[in-house]
Amino acid sequence: MGTGTIVGVIFALVTYYVLRHHYSSPWRHNHGMDLTNTHFENVTLICSMFAWSLGFLVGIGAFIGPFRWLIGKDLTDEENLYLAGDGQGISRYFRYCTDHKVVGIQYLVGVMILLGSGGTMAMMIRTNLATPGSHFVTPIVYNSLVGLHGITMIIGLIIALTGPFGNFIMPIMIGAADMAFPRLNALSWWVLFTAIPVLSSAWFLGGIPTGWTAYAPLSTQAGPGMDAFLVTIIIFAVSTAVAGANITTTVVAMRAKGMSWNRVPIFVIGSTISVALAVPAFPTFMAAMVQTGLDRTLTTGFYNAQQGGSGWLYANLFWIMGHPEVYVILIPGVAALMEIAPVFVRKPLFSFGAAIAGFAGIAGLSVLVWAHHMYMAGWMPSLNGPFMITTEFISVPTGLLFLVVIGTLWRGKPWLKMPMLCVYAMLWNLLIGGITGIFLSDVPADNYLHGSMFVTAHFHYTLMGAALTGAIGGLAYWFPKMTGRMLNEPASYASFWFIQIGFQVLFLGMFMAGAEGQPRRVADYAQVFAHSDLVSTVGAYSVGLGFIILLWAVIHSWRSGKVAPMNPWGAKTLEWTVPYPVPLVNFDEAPVVKSDPYGYGRKVE
Amino acid sequence: MANTEFHMHHDSPEKVGRRERLGVRILIVADASFLFAMVFSWFYLRNLNANDAWLPKGVKTFGAATSWIAIAPYIVSFLFHRIAMRDKAMRGPLMTLAFAVLVIGAVYQWHLISHMPFVAQDDNGRPYYNGAYASNWILFAGSNMFHYILTGFIALGLAIRGFRGNLLDAVLEDWRQKVAGSWFTWVAIGGVISAITMSFK
Repeated sequence: MGTGTIVGVIFALVTYYVLRHHYSSPWRHNHGMDLTNTHFENVTLICSMFAWSLGFLVGIGAFIGPFRWLIGKDLTDEENLYLAGDGQGISRYFRYCTDHKVVGIQYLVGVMILLGSGGTMAMMIRTNLATPGSHFVTPIVYNSLVGLHGITMIIGLIIALTGPFGNFIMPIMIGAADMAFPRLNALSWWVLFTAIPVLSSAWFLGGIPTGWTAYAPLSTQAGPGMDAFLVTIIIFAVSTAVAGANITTTVVAMRAKGMSWNRVPIFVIGSTISVALAVPAFPTFMAAMVQTGLDRTLTTGFYNAQQGGSGWLYANLFWIMGHPEVYVILIPGVAALMEIAPVFVRKPLFSFGAAIAGFAGIAGLSVLVWAHHMYMAGWMPSLNGPFMITTEFISVPTGLLFLVVIGTLWRGKPWLKMPMLCVYAMLWNLLIGGITGIFLSDVPADNYLHGSMFVTAHFHYTLMGAALTGAIGGLAYWFPKMTGRMLNEPASYASFWFIQIGFQVLFLGMFMAGAEGQPRRVADYAQVFAHSDLVSTVGAYSVGLGFIILLWAVIHSWRSGKVAPMNPWGAKTLEWTVPYPVPLVNFDEAPVVKSDPYGYGRKVE
Repeated sequence: MANTEFHMHHDSPEKVGRRERLGVRILIVADASFLFAMVFSWFYLRNLNANDAWLPKGVKTFGAATSWIAIAPYIVSFLFHRIAMRDKAMRGPLMTLAFAVLVIGAVYQWHLISHMPFVAQDDNGRPYYNGAYASNWILFAGSNMFHYILTGFIALGLAIRGFRGNLLDAVLEDWRQKVAGSWFTWVAIGGVISAITMSFK
């Protein structure tokens, strides 16, 4: 990692220096590239950021495998074992390591850092909104806070489950010795890692004044912070495609003997559907960002009406990705809690087929609803009706997910541990998030509610209330397998209640403010919204306190928590059959699966 | 270390090959999605023709055959690869030819980028790309360059490995040829889709 950082910085500085000092104005003019200073500054910054990413990857040795393939000298078994970090202790967590367990831990820490920084920004936003006329931050900083909070949380949540648990746990769950492509697995993490400093640099480059949606032509006219945003998205899209191909291939091609599709754990199914949805969805966002970059650097006119462009092109490309992305986040969260529910009520998962139909139905419909984000933009009003119908139809497969979870809990005797509490919390939060989503999918209601705090509260109920709660449940559930320690119970319970109660106060208050007409993304507001916003801010502090307690619980338990038994929950999936630390190749003998993973109450074969 | 015999690197070449082929095909889905976004942008802006600025009056364009010539090396390298898959003895030379063709394609693409006829000048005498057609053309050209570099890398690797074929696992090498075949097929198809799209001026 140190070498990668040094090489990455050198690459970036050399690129910056060469472009700045040797790519002089007469040379550019002679080559028809005499751009304005602003455009040239964008060229310099974007190239330097990509150079950092490339240099870092060269420095950590990510291209050794492809280079050796090129010259026809494939890596030997000994070299592959070295890359897998065999016998290298804690240092393997700081280098290019192909062991999926190490990559899972790297993702977990990365997710915690992303969500922690995004959450801190949320606290600053809520502090500014505590009272009308507050000057906690300036309006310009507020705009950047909103944009950076949004994109940081979106990236953090997209990888919140498929990153840590999809890498560490999922291969063991299906009885595989490793991921299908271990080097690509490590690459997906380290590529993403290079985007974190790039995104952070936006703060020093004037911020992101556009919100995370980065609508054009606002984004093409924004300051250099926007360059950091678009480079981040392009890097992230590459990482997502690589990770998606890897996870999907692993599940399809590397399941243990006897693990037919109806015996695959539901978390694995959900994660696979999620990444399979992400693979085709994210490149359209990437294309939109490439176009934004070309408009900002080479004076093309994709989004400039004078040059024949259109902001609606951006809106379409963005939302073709944007709505599936919601389900890329949501599905693994719900799937993790479906994995947890049978274990803690000691009943089989109710209607495995309905769960799969629900996930598949949501994924399929999610690509047919994007224009509901553009009802009020004036794009194709004649399509509002059809898009309203497809959007409302999504509530049918979503209802199946509720049916599966409630059917599983029905007449069960729940073991109320932290993971199980998250199942109940998700049911409540997703119910509210889902129902308010139906309001917003309705064109007349959206005419009033769009662009208001009501929308903000709605998507926080789905993304945070359901997906992030799923991630917390997953963390509590798989923490013993990933760290060998039990998560501190009193602290985790305290964090749960602070977060969940605070969450309801925060966002129910925001629903009220939104229904009264308070616009979102605005740094100040009228006196009439003062009570709702104060209530929301009090709720936000409770959520913040809950997460601080959870962070303490994770760090404390990881360092000195109670040692976990091999299978503390008495679960039946394969990850609980291996000891901690999990051996390099996971299983001493290739496992053979003889029953489904939720056969509670039935005789064990 | 005692468990090494179960490590994935010891799976059969057929198993590894099938897995790699599936992985490549999923990555092709991502690439196809990017191509879809480019095609969507082309036809969306062409049909919208905002301010009559898809192709403003007086703006020169490339000839009708240019986009087909620009993607022809994909098709030729695909054909070389198909033959190389059948004739193991000629794998090295044929893939070297495929690599050479791809390099020629990249050079031609760069030549086109350096001589774009639709660059105009604003009031301050600074150049800009005149019209949405020009913007979209640049995006396709950039995508073509990216694919030439990536496909050229694969062709060069296959050529080197073809010459070293007797030193490597023959079954696994056959599979790697098949895996690469998925990519060569895709860039040829993608190239044709690009050329058809760019034919609509």
